Amino acid sequence: MIVPYTHVILLASLLFLTGMICTVLRRNLIMLLLGLEIMLNAAAVAFVGAGLHLQQIEGQAAALFILAVAAAEVAVGLALIVCIYRQTGTLDPECIESDVCELE
Amino acid sequence: MQLHSAQFPVLSLILLVCLAGLAAVVLLPAEKKQAVKYVSTVCSAVTLGLSVYVFVAYDRALGGMQFVEHLQWAPSLGVSYINGVDGFSVPLLLLTGIVFFTGVLTMWEHDLRVKEFFAMFILLVTGVFGMFMALDLFFLFVWYDVSLFPMYLLIVIWGSTNREYGALKLTLFLLAGSALILPGIVYLVAESGMGTFSLPALVNNADFSPFAQKLAFFLFYVGFGILAGVWPFHTWSPAGHVAAPTAVSMLHAGVLMKIGAFGILRVGMFLCPEGWAFWAPVMALLATIGIVYGALAGLRQTDLKFVIGYSSVSHMGVVGLGLAAMTVDGVNGAVFQMFAHGVMTALFFSAVGYIYDKTHERKFANLGGLSHVMPVAGGYFILAALTGIGVPCLASFWAELLVLLAAFDVYPVYGAVAVSALAINALFILRVVEKTCFGPVNPKWEHLPDVSFGLGMPRLVLAGVIVIFGIMPFLMYETIQSASMLLISGLP
Amino acid sequence: MPGASVISETWLWAGWAAAAAPFAAFVLILFLLRRRPGAAAAVSLAAVATSMVFALCLLVCCVDMETPLRSVVTWMISGDTVISAGVHLDGLSLLMLAVVCGICLLVQVYSLGYMAGDPGFARYYAFMSLFAGAMIFLVLAPGLVQLYIFWELVGLSSYLLIGFWFEKFSASRAGKKAFVMTRLGDVAFLAGLLLLLVRGGVMDIAALSNGAAGLSSGMITVSAVLIFGGVIGKSAQFPLMTWLPDAMEGPTPVSALLHSATMVAAGVFLIARMFPFFSQSDAAMTFLLAVGTVSMLMSATMAMVSRDIKQVWAYSTISQLGFMLMALAAGGYFAGVFHLFTHAGFKALLFLCAGMLIHAFHSNDMFVIGQGGARGLKIPMLCMAVGAAALSGIWPFSGFASKEAVLATLVSLENPAWLIAGLAGVFLTAYYTFRLVFIIVFPAGRGQTRAEDPARGVAYAYGAMAWPVILLAFATLVLGFLAAPIRHWLAAGAGAHEAVHGPAWLAPLSLGLVFAAIAVAWVEFGRKNASQTGFVERVRVVAELFARRWYLDDIWGWAVSRLLDRGAAEACRQADNRVIDGFVHSLAGAAVASGRVLARGHRVMIQARLMIMFAVVFGLTCIMLIWG
Repeated sequence: MIVPYTHVILLASLLFLTGMICTVLRRNLIMLLLGLEIMLNAAAVAFVGAGLHLQQIEGQAAALFILAVAAAEVAVGLALIVCIYRQTGTLDPECIESDVCELE
Repeated sequence: MQLHSAQFPVLSLILLVCLAGLAAVVLLPAEKKQAVKYVSTVCSAVTLGLSVYVFVAYDRALGGMQFVEHLQWAPSLGVSYINGVDGFSVPLLLLTGIVFFTGVLTMWEHDLRVKEFFAMFILLVTGVFGMFMALDLFFLFVWYDVSLFPMYLLIVIWGSTNREYGALKLTLFLLAGSALILPGIVYLVAESGMGTFSLPALVNNADFSPFAQKLAFFLFYVGFGILAGVWPFHTWSPAGHVAAPTAVSMLHAGVLMKIGAFGILRVGMFLCPEGWAFWAPVMALLATIGIVYGALAGLRQTDLKFVIGYSSVSHMGVVGLGLAAMTVDGVNGAVFQMFAHGVMTALFFSAVGYIYDKTHERKFANLGGLSHVMPVAGGYFILAALTGIGVPCLASFWAELLVLLAAFDVYPVYGAVAVSALAINALFILRVVEKTCFGPVNPKWEHLPDVSFGLGMPRLVLAGVIVIFGIMPFLMYETIQSASMLLISGLP
Repeated sequence: MPGASVISETWLWAGWAAAAAPFAAFVLILFLLRRRPGAAAAVSLAAVATSMVFALCLLVCCVDMETPLRSVVTWMISGDTVISAGVHLDGLSLLMLAVVCGICLLVQVYSLGYMAGDPGFARYYAFMSLFAGAMIFLVLAPGLVQLYIFWELVGLSSYLLIGFWFEKFSASRAGKKAFVMTRLGDVAFLAGLLLLLVRGGVMDIAALSNGAAGLSSGMITVSAVLIFGGVIGKSAQFPLMTWLPDAMEGPTPVSALLHSATMVAAGVFLIARMFPFFSQSDAAMTFLLAVGTVSMLMSATMAMVSRDIKQVWAYSTISQLGFMLMALAAGGYFAGVFHLFTHAGFKALLFLCAGMLIHAFHSNDMFVIGQGGARGLKIPMLCMAVGAAALSGIWPFSGFASKEAVLATLVSLENPAWLIAGLAGVFLTAYYTFRLVFIIVFPAGRGQTRAEDPARGVAYAYGAMAWPVILLAFATLVLGFLAAPIRHWLAAGAGAHEAVHGPAWLAPLSLGLVFAAIAVAWVEFGRKNASQTGFVERVRVVAELFARRWYLDDIWGWAVSRLLDRGAAEACRQADNRVIDGFVHSLAGAAVASGRVLARGHRVMIQARLMIMFAVVFGLTCIMLIWG
């Protein structure tokens, strides 16, 4: 393995952190979704790296799974966002929540 | 458990036909209602034909699991795709085929969201078929849940009286059951240490400790028992019956409740015979209470469907009592009762469905004289009622006879109590017949049409099945016997 | 001998065919001939005539049969339990077969007239065929389970026929009452049968009778008493008797066939069939004797005050069935069975005559019929007189011979109370019978001009109704003299040595009682200026008691509505709604409430929540790293 395992994990953590910050701080649903995607990809990178490191194929299988899930999630998520935008005219989660997010 | 491989995968074919029908219905445009109905009818007719073929082709002398298909599916998880039928599941496959076919025909005049309705309906039936033939615990559980979920939508969208309540209650009760079954399965699989979900492998090779068997059987009994309408977990069933549309009630009371009893039999009794023996007295007690209680509660109902719902509770108690007896007679009677009760309630609900479609009235105090207005529809209703009472030469009689015989043998007191419930049963069912079909004609209903030939067809099929197996019970018993002998002789 | 076996084979086939023909007719009418009443009646009559021919052939050919013939096929096997079906031909079953077929045939011919023009004509014949088939299979049953099955089926056809005019509330209600009350008895029967099957393992009546089952005597008593429950229900004995008078809501031919001559006699037949078995238990037989006696006397008193002609015959049916049970319970096998046969004849006769009167005058009330001029109708009145004489037990009519045999068996008992009860029954029988006859023949306002022509309402189909009646009257005359051959035929069964004639004082005594009763009835109802009130009706409390059927109906009604409906059933319903559903609802309510409470802590913006989540996960990871 040319790239050391630690580097891969480091990259994954950095990616994850980026995604996390993006998710937590941005006030736009699309960016929020983007952040989620980045976090998923971080997990995928970690899986591939760990799979190589441990010489097991399951890591790559899991990465493939994650890709599929991420694709599905984007599809559904974007569709929802479009819907929400049409209904409320805004993409700010705080605005939306104050109207909608009432349990019961 | 002996396995006999299939020459030809007829069981998978049944599932495939269902799935193909489902796909066809989903792909058809929603406006083509007639086409959707034809596709569903063809699909159900083919599955009925295949299940009749399985019933006839099943080798009674050979016994054991036949038509077995075995495919590796996820070896690392120990899950494989195994299908097979024995003397217990063959009658139930036949029952499912019959109720599917007649249910589709019963809904011929149905007009609301036809495509979605039939898609859900076929999905539900697919799950039921899968459950009856699955020999892998994982698949069994998956099919079981597949057969539960469409129920919610079917009732909420197409139901009547109090449908949100009925559907929610039903779903929550049944999911609570699932929540007990899944841990039971996982626990047993882990306990076996064999890492496989294959039922034959577990039955033949696993050696469960008595404690594990008792615990797991309890989980299965309560979990599946909720679906089987075991007292005191039965209250979802009348509420659900009342809310559901006709064909769904037919399927629900006719087949779904049998899934519960079948689950107890297939998973609980095959895997945990010692647990069965341990819990049998409790089962017998609850079943006897259910028999009497269902009949008594039925006496005070005013809604036709509630009455049938409670009579189902009573009749499913007979199944429970038969299983609790742990004798060949008891198990034979219980399985036959599953079949007979399935056909009987299907006929009952389809007759009531017809009456409701025409009158939009289910309080039987407001009906009356219907035999005069619609003699054929009334005739089917009366036939179903008589079957429910246990009149000889109609299918239920033989089942009740054997179950009571077994109960007298093993639990004489419960047997005596259950026998006396027959009189109450007769009283409350005949009361309904009197109020609905007899008496002076209510002028409001004077001009209602009788069942047309097309709509009469499904009822005729059901009535025919009741009478045929009532006059020739040996047709059914030889099949069931081939399995129950093996099960009982294998008991410790 | 191959020849003999071929012949017996033929007889057995004849037995099967006799039973199957009406069933075939039932199916045929139900599916094909519902809208063709003429064809339906023809098919039904042809079927029952076929059965009749077979029955007569069998009777003639099998007279000297030494051992019973039987053919048995397996109906169902489950484990060790074998349920079989078959035909069993011996003296009792063949005689009973002939009686059943004969009366079925006559009643069906009669119905051609009585039911003419009814919209449900085809349905009527379908149900009649169902009844005939079920009854024949019942009579021929070799095993107890088969007997039970067809026992239930005749109950079913009775339900359907009582409620034949189901548009009338009273009719459908009476049908339900009949079914449920007999069901109550049948539950006991089924319990006894299952007990026998479980403990003894055999269902064959012959095997049970010769003690092959190896049952203990206690078990025999218990199961016998339970089986008597079925008899009490079906033969309308105390305390399940009140369904029978209500069953008169059905068409009169149905009352004649099912509710007097054949179906209700099935209970007596069952006792006779299993006579050797029941004889093993003295306690059970004493119980039966008591039940028979009580029913006999009670229903006789009810008959004394009724105004409804059919009700009187219904009460008298219960009473006569009580007589038969008394005879059987006292060990008089021949007496009981013989009384069954003669009673079948004369009671069918009485009912059919009553039917002709009702058909003509459109009323069940005997006073109305009398005032309408019933004495002008010669055939029914003459035949009714013959029937009444037989019912009262006057020589030379058939009832005399059989009643004497019954009393003779009662004489042989140690306790004279039974004999006294029997004689009291004879007196009451004659009294209520001739009360009815005198009321009809000598109506109160006679001598005044009768406004209407007696043949007023007589239907065009009078002939179809008259011939069966005349034939039955003839049979009533003849049957009394056939005691000896019938006894010979039955001799293969038990009780070959019992007394047929009592001591010399018995016949004069009973005849004296009969004539005394007739005299009382004449004084009260027959003579000119008679008050037309019976001695019972003068005491209001007693009359009320008898008219209300000893309050039996009220007791049953109270039990059903209070104990069952508003008691147990309501309790179950409330338990369902309050306890079980209440628990479930409170569970659901708790879930929702706790959800609400927890939700309060979540009313923060989603990103803040995410931040908290990440922080927690991070913190947990750190903790695990440090601890791990």
